[in-house]
Amino acid sequence: MSGKINLVLTALLVACGLSLVNAQYQARHLFIELERTQSQARQLDIEWAQLQLDQSTLGKHARIEEIARRDLNMTPLTAARTQYLTPEGSK
Amino acid sequence: MSRASNTNTSRVARSKGVPFSKNPVLAVRLPVWRSRVVLFVLFAAFAGLGARALWLQGLSTQFLQKQGEIRYARTLDLPATRGKITDRDGQVLASSVPVKAIWAIPDDVQEAPPAKLKELAKLLDMSNADLQKKLDSDRGFVYLKRQVEQDVADQITKLGIDGIQTRKEYKRFYPQGEVTTHVVGFTNVEDAGQESMELAQQKTLVGQPGSRRVIKDRLGHIVEDIESVREPHDGKDLTLSIDSKLQYIAFTQVKESVEKFHAKAGAAIVLDVHTGEVLALANWPTYNPNDRSKLTGEQLRNRVMTDTFEPGSSLKPFTVGLALDEKRITPHTMFDTGNGAMVIADHVVHDTHPHYLIDVQTIIQKSSNIGTSKIALGMPPQEMWEMFTKVGFGQQPKWGFPGAVAGRVRPYKSWRPIEQANMSFGQGISVSLIQLARAYMIFARDGDIIPLSFQKVTEAPHGTQVVSAKTAAEMREMLEMVTLPGGSAVKAQVPGYRVGGKTGTAQKFMNGRYSQTKYIGNFVGMAPMSNPRFIIAVMIDEPGGPVHVGGDVAGPVFSALAANALRAKNITPDSTLTHIIIPDNAAQEKM
Repeated sequence: MSGKINLVLTALLVACGLSLVNAQYQARHLFIELERTQSQARQLDIEWAQLQLDQSTLGKHARIEEIARRDLNMTPLTAARTQYLTPEGSK
Repeated sequence: MSRASNTNTSRVARSKGVPFSKNPVLAVRLPVWRSRVVLFVLFAAFAGLGARALWLQGLSTQFLQKQGEIRYARTLDLPATRGKITDRDGQVLASSVPVKAIWAIPDDVQEAPPAKLKELAKLLDMSNADLQKKLDSDRGFVYLKRQVEQDVADQITKLGIDGIQTRKEYKRFYPQGEVTTHVVGFTNVEDAGQESMELAQQKTLVGQPGSRRVIKDRLGHIVEDIESVREPHDGKDLTLSIDSKLQYIAFTQVKESVEKFHAKAGAAIVLDVHTGEVLALANWPTYNPNDRSKLTGEQLRNRVMTDTFEPGSSLKPFTVGLALDEKRITPHTMFDTGNGAMVIADHVVHDTHPHYLIDVQTIIQKSSNIGTSKIALGMPPQEMWEMFTKVGFGQQPKWGFPGAVAGRVRPYKSWRPIEQANMSFGQGISVSLIQLARAYMIFARDGDIIPLSFQKVTEAPHGTQVVSAKTAAEMREMLEMVTLPGGSAVKAQVPGYRVGGKTGTAQKFMNGRYSQTKYIGNFVGMAPMSNPRFIIAVMIDEPGGPVHVGGDVAGPVFSALAANALRAKNITPDSTLTHIIIPDNAAQEKM
C-alpha cells in the first residue's frame, strides 16, 4: 500500500519538477519578448520625437513664406483687396 | 618474473588442496594502528569538508554572493528624456533626441592602426592632428566628441577600434531656431537649462532618471530582473503661451525695421489682452540656439525683458489717466501750452511745436510735454508714484522669467517739481518694454491689470482695478486719436482696423547726461480699438538714419505687426471699409 503511494508521489514530484523547468523556460522566452517590445517602443518614441521635430522644421513659417512667395507667386492679403461679408442678422 | 612465480604458487596451493580461508597469506596479522590511521584520516577529511562548508555558507557568504553578482548582475541606468517645449498650438519649439558621446581610453586607442584612426578622425569631423592631440593624454578617459548623431556613432562603432566607447546622451534641437530663441532659451551639453524658459522651468522639464538591476548572460543579453525596476519619469512637456505665427511675424518685422532704420537693435512684444499671455516676444540681433559657437552678449540679450530705458512720451497716458480718474480734469479741459517752452524752476520743458490753447485730448494726440507737465504738477507726487507702482513700474516682475528687471522709480519724497514734470512724460524713470506693454493693460482692459504668463493660460486671471472703466474708455479714445490724422503716429494706422497707441522717443541716458544723437524710439499700441485683443509694444534702439522719432520708426513696425497679427487671427475689421487708408508703403505688398 505505502509503496503505491510512494510511487504516485514520485511521479507527481517528477511531473512538478518538469513543469517548473518548462515554466522557467516560458518565462525566459516571454521576458526576452518583453524586452524586445519595450526597446521597440523606445525606438518608436524616439522616432516620434524626431518626426515632430521634422514637422516643426519643415513647417517653419519662414520656409512657408519663402515657398509661397518664390515658388507659388503668392502675396499677402490686405484689407484693401478683401471683400468682407457680414452674416445676416448679426448687424 | 614475480608475476609468473605468483601464479605459480597459487596454482601450487590449489593443486595441494588448500582452501581459501586457510590461505597462509590471510594469517598475516596487520598492526591495529594502521586501520586506526585510515579511519582517522577519513574522519579528518570529512571534518575538513564540513568546516569548509560551514565557512563558505555561514561566514563568508556575503562576500561570495557579492563576487558572484559582480560577474552576472548589472545596474542599468534608465535615463529620463527632457520634456518638450511647444507653442500654444502644440508645435515643437524644443525637443531632445538621443545621441552619443564618443570617448576613448587613450592608451588602448594609440595601438590602433593609423588608417583606422584617420577614418575615425574623418567621422568625427576633426583633423588627424586634433585627434592625436586629444589622444595624447595621461588620463584614462577622454571625450573625443560629444553629441554625435546616432548614425555617425554607429559607423564609429563599426570601425571596431579598441578603447573607443560610446555613452548615451541627449541633444536638444530647436527647429524654430533664431525666431523663438529669446523665449525658449537653450540647454548646455549636460542637458541643463541655461537661458529663458529652459532655465526657468528646469525643474519640471528635467525628469527623474530610473534604474534597474538585471542578470546578463555572457553575450550581454538581459536574462531577468533581480529587483523591481525604478521606472524613469520623463520631464513634463511645457506649453508656452507663444503663438508661432505671431512670433514669426513679430520677428521678421523687428528684423526688417532694424535694418531699414540702421538701428543698433530692436524688440517687440505682443500680449493677449484677455489672458495676459505673451503671444510673441522678438529681439534683433538674435542667435541660432542650435549653433552657439559664435554667440555674443549682444545677441544673447533679451531686450524686452532685461533692458530698461526711459520710455519718453509713451508714459504720458498714465499721468493723464490718473488725473482723469481723480476727476481733476476731463478730456475737454483746456490747458495753455504757450509757445512751446515752459520754465519750471530754472529748467525749460519744450514741445516740438507750439500748440497754444489745447484740450487734454489734444495734449495726448500731439504729445505735448508742457500740457502733461501742467497736469502732473496739479497732483501730489505720492499719487503719481502710487500709479506707477500699481501698474508695475519699479516692481520686480514675478512672471517666472529669468533676468527680468524691475526698472527704476525713485521714491516720491525726493521728487522736485521739475522731476515730477519730467516723469509725467517719461524721463527720469526707467522701465522695460514688457513692463510698459503690461501697464497699457489698464487702458486696453476696463481699467484693471492682470499678471502676465509665458505659459498657456486656461482660465482668465483676476485683475486688480487701477482706474475706472470710464477712464479706460476715455483714454482709449485719446489713444486712437494719436493714430488719426493730426496725431503723432499716423504711420501706426492699420488698414481696415481701428488702432490706438502712444509713441515715445527717449534720448538715451549715457555717461550721466542725455545724448543728443542716440535715441530709443518706441510705440505701445492696441488693436482692434472696438474691443482690444492685442497689446503690441515695439522698441527700436539707436536708429541711425535721419528719422529717430518713435512715431516714425516704431509706428510702422506696429502697423505691419498689427495688420499681420489681426489677419492671422481672423479678427473682423472694425473700421468702415470706405475708410481704408492705403498705406504709403503699399509697394511692399508685392515683395
